[in-house]
Amino acid sequence: MDPQLAPAVMDTAAEHDGPIETDAVIVGAGPVGLFQVFELGLLEIKAHVIDALPYPGGQPVELYPDKPIYDIPAIPVCTGQELTDSLLKQIAPFGATFHLGQEVTTVAQQDDGRFFVATSKGTRFLTKTLFIAAGVGAFQPRLLKVDGLERFDGTQVFYRVKNPADFAGKNLVIVGGGDSAIDWALNFAAEGPNKAESVILIHRRDGFKAAPANVAKMRERCEQLEMQLIVGQITGHEEKDGRLSGVKVTGSDAVTRLVPLNVLLVFFGLSPKLGPIADWGLEIERKQLVVDTEKFSTSVPGIFAVGDINTYPGKKKLILCGFHECALAAFGAMPIIFPDKKVFLQYTTTSPKLHKVLGVESPVFD
Amino acid sequence: MTHVVTESCIRCKYTDCVDVCPVDCFREGPNFLTIDPDECIDCAVCIPECPVSAIYAEEDLPKDQLHMTKLNADLAVLPGWKSITKRKEPLPDADDWKDRTGKLSELIR
Repeated sequence: MDPQLAPAVMDTAAEHDGPIETDAVIVGAGPVGLFQVFELGLLEIKAHVIDALPYPGGQPVELYPDKPIYDIPAIPVCTGQELTDSLLKQIAPFGATFHLGQEVTTVAQQDDGRFFVATSKGTRFLTKTLFIAAGVGAFQPRLLKVDGLERFDGTQVFYRVKNPADFAGKNLVIVGGGDSAIDWALNFAAEGPNKAESVILIHRRDGFKAAPANVAKMRERCEQLEMQLIVGQITGHEEKDGRLSGVKVTGSDAVTRLVPLNVLLVFFGLSPKLGPIADWGLEIERKQLVVDTEKFSTSVPGIFAVGDINTYPGKKKLILCGFHECALAAFGAMPIIFPDKKVFLQYTTTSPKLHKVLGVESPVFD
Repeated sequence: MTHVVTESCIRCKYTDCVDVCPVDCFREGPNFLTIDPDECIDCAVCIPECPVSAIYAEEDLPKDQLHMTKLNADLAVLPGWKSITKRKEPLPDADDWKDRTGKLSELIR
């Protein structure tokens, strides 16, 4: 849960702490962003990783955590979650700092050549290099599209629950059919400090994507009249004295009913949006960042792009291609970060220096 | 950019595409499927699924189908056009219509 501080307090605190000064910032904690940590780490470059989601893993974890992936070299099969867990284990020696649940909003080059990077949570960096591994963009909640409803965003309409206590004792309408919708409906219908005055779940059909056990529990609670399920779609809303007073729900019987509420919680899943990357002055082609294939540099030296976000002749959006790009981008960043250092290609099998970096013992060969 | 369903889908609606979409961006009308451009992430997985090759990346659209980009976007927000995420039977006379061109007048909104 996020700390409950007034935005003004957070802003003031951020003003007084200077930005984090670093060699590398990685945007995106998907498989390619995580492996970028590894490749930079071998070159003794420490990285900060930013992701819009509150957990690492990117597309494979968000879109298909349980589906098998068959084309990771030397791993015949793994799920998106397993791939992420393995990568996190692999990069553990490099101690990257993760800044999750925040989106990069600003990238601006300073006079000294470094990049000023700021996030939606007010985290700020001054970095020598930036690695954009943002895939198809930042995952954001899908919106409920009803004309005029957006005026209540953040006051009576919410797409995430930061502090469940805010909704205790309220008349809640929860819309959606996935795990988030069902879990929160059960949570707020249950006895406890966060119990709502009433909980009505709305879903467009009488079938749910959520875990079957929880769907059964939800139906049980409905039978016990502790909550209610309405099958239908929200097609309009009603206001009273400038407040949202109810939503109009059109059922499969084509009848529209007014459902009164204090708070509307919408859980339609997440969808990626390219967002502000388009405004950073980088050359873009078909929503992708144009890079060279020597260093995977964008049109701005010092800003690299790896994985699904980049494009170059012959580009294939494959995780394994992204991994290759990470290695060359890391070497490409060396002259910017350590201009005086001579760079040698070394192997993790034989290099005592890399063993030290990895925190492993150098084997003794007889 | 987005992916776009072209006229080939009209009166066929094979729906193979909807099973593979990772972001559930297909919307179903009476005799056509459309892609919601706000949701599509250009992963291209649906293209080879369509038995009549009705789906294209926006910039690969054949010249005579360029109007479908706007039509997909317009149809996607019609209230009657609901999200479809599971494959179902094609329209009964789909096989009779699959090779026909110039079907735009057949589209039911």
